[in-house]
Amino acid sequence: MYLDVKNLNLFYDRAMVLDELSFHVNKGETVSIVGPNGAGKTSALRAIAGLVKWEQDILKGTVMGKITLTGSVLFKGEELLKLPAYKIAERKLILCPERGRPFRERTVLENLQAGAYMVKSKKVMQELLNAAYEIFPILKTRKNQVAGTLSGGERCMLAMARALQSQPELLLLDEPTVGLAPLVKEDLFACVKKIHAMGVTILLTEQDVSFAFELSERNYVLSRGKVVAEGTASQLISDDLVRKTYLGL
Amino acid sequence: MIEMIIINGAVMGGVISILATGFSLVFGVAKILNLAYTAFYMVASFLLYIMIIMYKLPLSLSFVTSIIITAILAMASYKICLDRIKEHESAVLIITVALTILFQEILILFFSAINRTIPPLVGGSSEILGVAILNQQIFCVVVSIGIIAIIWLFLSKTKMGNAIMAVAEDREVANLMGINVSRMCMITVGISGVLAGLAAVVVAPLQMIQPYMWMYPLVSVLCAVILGGLGNIKGGIVGAYILGFTEACVVFLFPKFSFLRGAVSLSIMLIILLIRPEGLFGIIFEEERL
Repeated sequence: MYLDVKNLNLFYDRAMVLDELSFHVNKGETVSIVGPNGAGKTSALRAIAGLVKWEQDILKGTVMGKITLTGSVLFKGEELLKLPAYKIAERKLILCPERGRPFRERTVLENLQAGAYMVKSKKVMQELLNAAYEIFPILKTRKNQVAGTLSGGERCMLAMARALQSQPELLLLDEPTVGLAPLVKEDLFACVKKIHAMGVTILLTEQDVSFAFELSERNYVLSRGKVVAEGTASQLISDDLVRKTYLGL
Repeated sequence: MIEMIIINGAVMGGVISILATGFSLVFGVAKILNLAYTAFYMVASFLLYIMIIMYKLPLSLSFVTSIIITAILAMASYKICLDRIKEHESAVLIITVALTILFQEILILFFSAINRTIPPLVGGSSEILGVAILNQQIFCVVVSIGIIAIIWLFLSKTKMGNAIMAVAEDREVANLMGINVSRMCMITVGISGVLAGLAAVVVAPLQMIQPYMWMYPLVSVLCAVILGGLGNIKGGIVGAYILGFTEACVVFLFPKFSFLRGAVSLSIMLIILLIRPEGLFGIIFEEERL
């Protein structure tokens, strides 16, 4: 298995966020995790990408610092849970965070250059930049614009393009469509398809079930920190209980 | 009169800008309000005194050695005292004040509180626009402009500079790009140590060296960086020159009240903060105002 998450538990103080969460992603797949607000989707991705460990380390000793993370996250057979976030990124597992979080005071180009921090060759950096401009042409026209002045959809595209500069093998997309208009979602849908066609394995979390189901080969339904259902879109939609209780369809 | 204000303002601004750049870098990247920063400048000045006056070492060797030792001292202080508590803002303030007093008391113990001087790197004086000025003062302005140019080139044109700026803006997201945030903070603290050492090299010969020499520069630097926008390097530099020219104006336009130059600069900082609470170059995005 490419990414294998087993019995992942996460507590912020006494509040349980992830409850024995287990799922897997195979190489070359697009897999979705869907679920309502507070289901633990973002926390799951943050735990995999090492950001929960980062939080644990920097908040140690503060009142916010009582964070417990147990279980196992294997990526290509290697345990990630004890690795710092930057080491996980070095293994080409890249998280594109919720709402993109571009460096707002930096230009679009500087954001993309920051994304290519791990790339040594200037030639490869230029190729990656060109590839990103091909998928997201709007970024080329905005390359000297400060990222904080971009629209929500453009920020999201910039964040994805920035993640691509790190040459991801597994790309984690955290709610890429949140707060976006339907037309922008369509553009984004095409972009994610193009990224997948480049050979990148994708794990995305979504509240927009139809967006997720159209993109993904397999899906997990998350509720209160644990997987309550899994399967293809048609399998999940055909299950009345899952459809009505968790998907709102 | 105008010439005197311009030249002296440029010198004062140059002095403050070197320290303000280092201070802004550390606050911007490592998020540490390092009140011990000018104490490193003081230690570097004493190192110069020890090497040049006490051990008669060559000037150039003394300058390089003092800069290196100051950078190592700054990094060691960060690693030992600040790294693990940097999320506790009040603890950082207390520890940095404690560090400053520690350095001050150690220096008093070994050197007492008397004033000392060191020879300038560039001797003699020149006349510019009819104003007599020490060559060391001209050197100070040239070095400060050079430092600003080098820091700007480093931060905007190099990969590491871009990574440092990424860390300054969002440390958590910088991790996701494979940037080792702790390493970047340490490098930044090292650079700030080098800047404190450089400030000592160019400024210490113009001033008295004594164990309280950290106080006035700290007030000026804090004033400059807050005026410009805390953590914003460009803001810190502009703030430093505004202060420099303000102080020069007070000294030359109202010589009887020159003792009030610090108070006037602080008043200007207050007025600007009342109009723009984020400082001249501080950026607050709309969502942060909520």
